[in-house]
Amino acid sequence: MTPRLHGLLLAGGKSSRMGRDKASLAVGSDDLTQAQRATGLLRKFCASIYLSLRVGQSPPQGAEGENILIDSPLAEGPLSGILAAFEKDAQASWLVLACDLPFLTEEVVSTLIARRDLAGESPFTAFASSVDGLPEPLCAIYGPEAFPVLKRHAALGHFCPRRIMIEESAALFPLPDGATKALTNLNTPEDLEEAVGRRIHLSWFGRLAELRGQREETVFTKEKTSGEFFHALNERHGLEIDLSCIRIAINDEFADRNQTLRTGDKVAFLPPFSGG
Amino acid sequence: MHFAIQPHPIDPAPLQRALEDDSCGGFVFFEGKVRNHHEGREVAGLRYEAYQALAEKEGRRLVEEISSKHAVRVAAIHATGDLKPGELAVWVGAAAPHRGQAFDACRELIDAIKARVPIWKRETYTDGHGEWVEGCSCGTSHHNEDRESP
Repeated sequence: MTPRLHGLLLAGGKSSRMGRDKASLAVGSDDLTQAQRATGLLRKFCASIYLSLRVGQSPPQGAEGENILIDSPLAEGPLSGILAAFEKDAQASWLVLACDLPFLTEEVVSTLIARRDLAGESPFTAFASSVDGLPEPLCAIYGPEAFPVLKRHAALGHFCPRRIMIEESAALFPLPDGATKALTNLNTPEDLEEAVGRRIHLSWFGRLAELRGQREETVFTKEKTSGEFFHALNERHGLEIDLSCIRIAINDEFADRNQTLRTGDKVAFLPPFSGG
Repeated sequence: MHFAIQPHPIDPAPLQRALEDDSCGGFVFFEGKVRNHHEGREVAGLRYEAYQALAEKEGRRLVEEISSKHAVRVAAIHATGDLKPGELAVWVGAAAPHRGQAFDACRELIDAIKARVPIWKRETYTDGHGEWVEGCSCGTSHHNEDRESP
């Protein structure tokens, strides 16, 4: 009988290269944080899901209500979270996901789960990286037989799950066609910007709000300046507005159209004023 | 220095009191109210919308600029929301030692509010239609009125 499958979201990383908690970042246009998105994905496949955190760490935004597992002291890095999961339930299989896989889809996870039956004797079911063919340990299934194996490696100071999977001949499968980038992760603000563009909070006022059909939205743009951004929106939404009639505000201050946009900026395009 | 943007109905009394100063002999107050007609159409009401954070910031800057330029005390409050004809949309007050400075400052402040503060109005007509009024150089009807010199 196939053991029950629990979900484990690894959110205990320090995100030092990103400079802020990756799990709390919203990187898609749906406004969900990475933790929220990943727990949503796990919930589609697992009845019980857990959030792996460091000692003393608060849950990331959007995942405040989840069950928490504190890292095991037996290891370091992601392995300490995976060990904590088996300490919680050693009889289960664990679907382990990193919290910074913004391109991971339901289809890819469901493919992984389907491959579990083909893994034979191996307690590890994982994808082979589309870049170097090595195991992808942070979107993988760890069967109950993995627990003693992981503990043995941890005792020897081997904390790298990829290395363990290589040494233990994990069952590796190719990513589904068209999903070769599904496991690309984002470690730096530059990665983030290159992947999804700058995240902008956009407000519309007056006639523009009426034309656009909404007052607030979050959008991602690769345009560099506020003026270029406006042109792109104008075109995308067919607003047919002459920029010479419009003033621009960034972060609640008037701005000119050559001002560079940064992720997190609050941008507003202001039609001619008519107060008084 | 006082500038406020508040939901209708607005009460200018606190701002008016704040302008009181025994060194001032001239007090000028302007009240902008909703008109019941616009370009031959009967106006049923107006809706004012503001970019609150920026409008307050810019309004405070205007009050600061004009009061230091004319050595007067000025204040203003603008309403947002749905207003009917006859209701108070904007109030501007100026207090100065002499009437000339007070008249000038009051006029200058209401003109500057209209030109520089991000507030918009939408007129609804008695025939049920409505449209945004855009008072600037892009060809809409308020052009002349808004650019009228003091």
